[in-house]
Amino acid sequence: MSNTPLFILICSPEHEKIQMAAMIASVAAVSETPVHVFVSMGAIYAFQKGIPDKARYIGGAFSDVLKARKAPDAMVLFGQGKELGEMTVHACSMALDVLDWQEDDLVDGLFDGAMGLTKYLSDAENGQLITL
Amino acid sequence: MSQRKSIDARGAFCPGPLMELIAMLKLVEIGDEIEVLSTDKGTAMDVPEWIAKVGHEMVGVEDKGDHWSVVVKKAK
Repeated sequence: MSNTPLFILICSPEHEKIQMAAMIASVAAVSETPVHVFVSMGAIYAFQKGIPDKARYIGGAFSDVLKARKAPDAMVLFGQGKELGEMTVHACSMALDVLDWQEDDLVDGLFDGAMGLTKYLSDAENGQLITL
Repeated sequence: MSQRKSIDARGAFCPGPLMELIAMLKLVEIGDEIEVLSTDKGTAMDVPEWIAKVGHEMVGVEDKGDHWSVVVKKAK
């Protein structure tokens, strides 16, 4: 029997919240819980392809600790969740539109495409929603 | 014949050791054991929890002083 799907909506550009989202998503996915990630608002900047970590991960004091202690990279954790478990990652179509970004502007190998919020929330009615 | 593999995840933070274990579990045969060495305190609790949830087998958890040794067996 499958576990209740987990829907993780990431809005914040803060490193700490993106790191927490990556940890929850990856561990849940490898624990036989289907995970569906939706990236919107300022969080989308952290998923831009080809930017240095210094620009990708912007946060507070705890972000500095995460970087100094070399905590697992959030993008790597999302990738491991997809590779080892059942996980989808979608970019908010509105966020891409307002930035004039295409899916090609996002980190390679992570996204399953763009999606509208209405569709995501409709899907999330069948699961547990976490917003970060 | 069953084998034992080892992962030295000392210095890695949560959930690094668990993810390394899961990646290796995909590669080994049923009956093989994997020992994870970890300095992350959560590993000693998180790995048994994960193993129980997904249906593998815990062999043992040992406090080695400056790190933990966690041994699991692939059961499915």
